[in-house]
Amino acid sequence: MPERNVCIIAGGMSKWGVREASIIDMAQEAAKECFDDIPALKRKDIDGLLFASSYCGRRSFQVNIAPVVAERIGIKPTSMCTRVDTLCAGGSSGIILATGLIKSGIADVVMIAGGEKLYTPQRWETYYSELASIDHDWDGAQGMGLPPPYFSMTAQEHMKRYGTTKEQLWAVSVKNRRNGSTNPKGHFQKAVTIEEVMASRVIVPPLSLYDCCPITDGCAAVILTYAEKARELTDRPLVYIRGSAQAALHSMSINWPGEHLADWLHMRTAAKRAYEMGRVGPEDIDVAMTHDCFTISEIVEMEELGFCKKGEGGPFVESGQSDFGGKVPVNTDGGLLSCGHPFGATGIRQAREILQQLQGRAIRQVEGAEIGLTHNLSGLNVEHTILIYGREP
Amino acid sequence: MPVPGIPILEGKYPSTMDLYPLEAKEFNRVHQFYENLRQKRFTTTKCKKCGHVPFPPRVVCPECNSEDLEWVDLPTRGKVLRFTEEVAGVPLGFDSPLIHALIDLGDGRKFVSRIINCKEGELKEGDEVQLAVFDVPPMIIEKKGVMTEAERVFFAFEPSKAEVK
Repeated sequence: MPERNVCIIAGGMSKWGVREASIIDMAQEAAKECFDDIPALKRKDIDGLLFASSYCGRRSFQVNIAPVVAERIGIKPTSMCTRVDTLCAGGSSGIILATGLIKSGIADVVMIAGGEKLYTPQRWETYYSELASIDHDWDGAQGMGLPPPYFSMTAQEHMKRYGTTKEQLWAVSVKNRRNGSTNPKGHFQKAVTIEEVMASRVIVPPLSLYDCCPITDGCAAVILTYAEKARELTDRPLVYIRGSAQAALHSMSINWPGEHLADWLHMRTAAKRAYEMGRVGPEDIDVAMTHDCFTISEIVEMEELGFCKKGEGGPFVESGQSDFGGKVPVNTDGGLLSCGHPFGATGIRQAREILQQLQGRAIRQVEGAEIGLTHNLSGLNVEHTILIYGREP
Repeated sequence: MPVPGIPILEGKYPSTMDLYPLEAKEFNRVHQFYENLRQKRFTTTKCKKCGHVPFPPRVVCPECNSEDLEWVDLPTRGKVLRFTEEVAGVPLGFDSPLIHALIDLGDGRKFVSRIINCKEGELKEGDEVQLAVFDVPPMIIEKKGVMTEAERVFFAFEPSKAEVK
């Protein structure tokens, strides 16, 4: 069998936010919108399901959740039905794995779904559970599970080393909240002014409320298949998965791979490999969805992806280079800062937005976008995952 | 406000909710780290075959695959490079301010640790900190219906001149 090219053909999301719903309810909502996105595809056409969730085991008391989701959404996988956990990158991991399964012929049509029900009936459990999201016995027991303190040190490092300002951090927040204001599926639909951001309460200096993505419930789903099958199912332009990489160079904070906290060697490592596989460079990316868990994250990501020079991420975002009309519009659907971050669902949400961008049907369209990129970082910056999508294989 | 909780779990020890490691030798092959900690020693494993000294401690050398390891001491003092003070939103089990610092241990390692015995606004970059060992609640081990409490310690760092409570 000749090697197949793999396409993403449909995407859907549940409503994201503080939801009065279970993870299984939201999985059904996401799958429904995904099926509605491609009417020619029937449930029986799906032969594989990958479900990305990190916290279903702890907060929904449900491990091996994939067959539960398959049953509830009415599919009967025969090639693969499994759960994927890479915390914040679970959805992207699922897309990479599904690409390999389809390319090799192990699977033909695969749904990658994922998400989390993060809000528990008592809020202490919501926060306390975060201590499981990092190297538990070492960093977790030091109380480091909630990300703001760690990323506050990243922000301090970047500000002291490169002169990055709070105004530059806030520019990311204002841009992403504006982009998200027209996305009905995200956690927030409210744009914020720089004055509102400036006046918001401090979380951990120098990070304020609007520098941090919220805790969010939600699910998302996409469908991948090989190009020939995709042409049978849709008249829309095909969107191919061109390249990917996932780099994990350490787990415990003591083994941080960079020279300093604002030097993300593992991200550069992943970017280099994904660009090579995708046969593109940073200058070719028309639209990018990067992991803006914090405003500082998006600034460092602009540098490590090669969109600007190291240390120039602050001026890059402040001057509008990551906005519409700039060098590369970033987080056009609002990103994590506006949509929220139900870990396993985030990479899938990003893929859905890139699909719509490359098919010319996004809510906030980047004119003529042909090559898109998604990026996730996992946990306290221990893994980086990048995917490159294109209108050509 | 106390709530009824889950009646069938009353008086039970749910280890999956335990903040601290299951340190006892019945559950942990690096329990010696915690035994050493009790003696105020901050240690890890060194490979007797290739000399590699990873942290956290291992049961197999990740460089050469040897199982012939010995315990060696790490520095117990370091210098604060960056730090962060979390005042609101501190998770259950920790007091406000929850302070973390990136510490240069001087042996090529930069350790991110909690800083205790330190008030908000007191710590500065460049300060020296030292290892602090404290008791944490025991873990429960049930054998043939008999409960035993395995005592535990854990560690953080504290300002070098702080009075240890």
